[in-house]
Amino acid sequence: MVRTKEDLNQSIKKMNRINAASNTPTAVGTQETTEQQKLQHQLQIFQNSLPKVSQTAYMLLLNECVPLSMAVEKKRGDRALNLVGNGDDEVSQTEGKLEGVHLSPPLDPPSNQLCRELYEADEEKHNRVLDRLRNIGFEIGNKVTELLVFSNNPNLHFKDMDLLSVMKFICRDVWRQMFNKQVDNLKTNHRGTFYLFDYDYKPIQTFALDSESSAKELQMVKPFLEITVGVIKGVLASIGHAPENVVCLASYVDRPEEKPRSSFTKGVSFHVQVTM
Amino acid sequence: MSTPTQSKSLKTIGEDTWKNKTEKVNAELFTLTYGAIVSQLCADYDRDFQKVNNHLFSMGYNIGVRLIEDFLARTALPRCENMVKTSEMISKCAFKIFLNMTPQVTNWSTEKDAFSLMLEENPLSDFVELPVDAMKQLWYSNVLCGVLKGALEMVQLDCDVWFISDILKGDSQTELRIKLNKVLKDEVPIGED
Repeated sequence: MVRTKEDLNQSIKKMNRINAASNTPTAVGTQETTEQQKLQHQLQIFQNSLPKVSQTAYMLLLNECVPLSMAVEKKRGDRALNLVGNGDDEVSQTEGKLEGVHLSPPLDPPSNQLCRELYEADEEKHNRVLDRLRNIGFEIGNKVTELLVFSNNPNLHFKDMDLLSVMKFICRDVWRQMFNKQVDNLKTNHRGTFYLFDYDYKPIQTFALDSESSAKELQMVKPFLEITVGVIKGVLASIGHAPENVVCLASYVDRPEEKPRSSFTKGVSFHVQVTM
Repeated sequence: MSTPTQSKSLKTIGEDTWKNKTEKVNAELFTLTYGAIVSQLCADYDRDFQKVNNHLFSMGYNIGVRLIEDFLARTALPRCENMVKTSEMISKCAFKIFLNMTPQVTNWSTEKDAFSLMLEENPLSDFVELPVDAMKQLWYSNVLCGVLKGALEMVQLDCDVWFISDILKGDSQTELRIKLNKVLKDEVPIGED
């Protein structure tokens, strides 16, 4: 009994401390904020001066990873079969191609077919493809942190960053870097569980689905969330939260009523759980 | 006389579209994303770089057939009557709008059906250094060949696209070759003529 009371007291104290900490910056005064604004402005100029490419090209590249990963899975599956069976023709085919280097190489099946195959694949295959996507995302996330560390953003102090500010960093800076927007909503229980809501998740905005998207369609689009799952884990790993301590899952959520209609009917939620 | 003014207008169309009608992302992010994809492929194939090349090409093809739609919608440019026009469109508009670069067009074949693009700054391979074993076989930016192949096929130009040299391989320049095989015919529906 006594102990629980003490715990309670302590947690209240902790809460107070958090409040106090959040109060200090505002209490310091206006001079600080103008300095801050100046730095922000400088950051903006710096960001704008960096070389750029088209976002359409970037989104196509990101999304094409899904059929690509499925194509790789298929090729590797075929190869395994060939080792067992009598599948010499595939090998000879590629060798024939080697001679005429400038001829176009054999093409994988079109993306839409690969996406459908991914949907129909058994669970084991499906998971291997998703793992591949998460790996790509993980590496992107790792390096995005580096990119942002060197941006001189005055809001970032990695030295004394608690988990909440790390998540804020993901919601604000990482998202803006990748999707030109911020996460719409961040929820947490202050015990290592976070929900990141993005109601207009960029990579799938160009997907045309019926107004009432069917369960099947939603399931087919789902692999397109996995790279970002990897990105979140990658960023966390680069700031010192080992991937085995992090669980990240993506799922659909309903978009809030007041949001204007977008082409994709569902919002996306990333559920992140970090064990400390 | 009309050619210089036309080519100038192509250039302005490209620059205008890039400046005003294109949402942009950091080129370094693009570079490192592509790097992550290539390295995953190399890991998947145990450094069998020929297969990696093929997958990159294929991936590019699938992007190209979609990218051309965006390109035509953005620029509203008409069909090119010859390969010279096509080459200008590619270098001054397409590369400008999507990658913010303008490669030089050179090395025309005598029949004017093949040309080279010189990629001086290539946002795909910025800060990239290939390990020794990859230098021989890997065409790091092979996705570009696929994109061009796919996009050109959608405007009825059957082309072969391949890299001749790459700075990453120790060559002095990065040269991409485009060769027209044939102009695909517009199909008329059966019974229409």
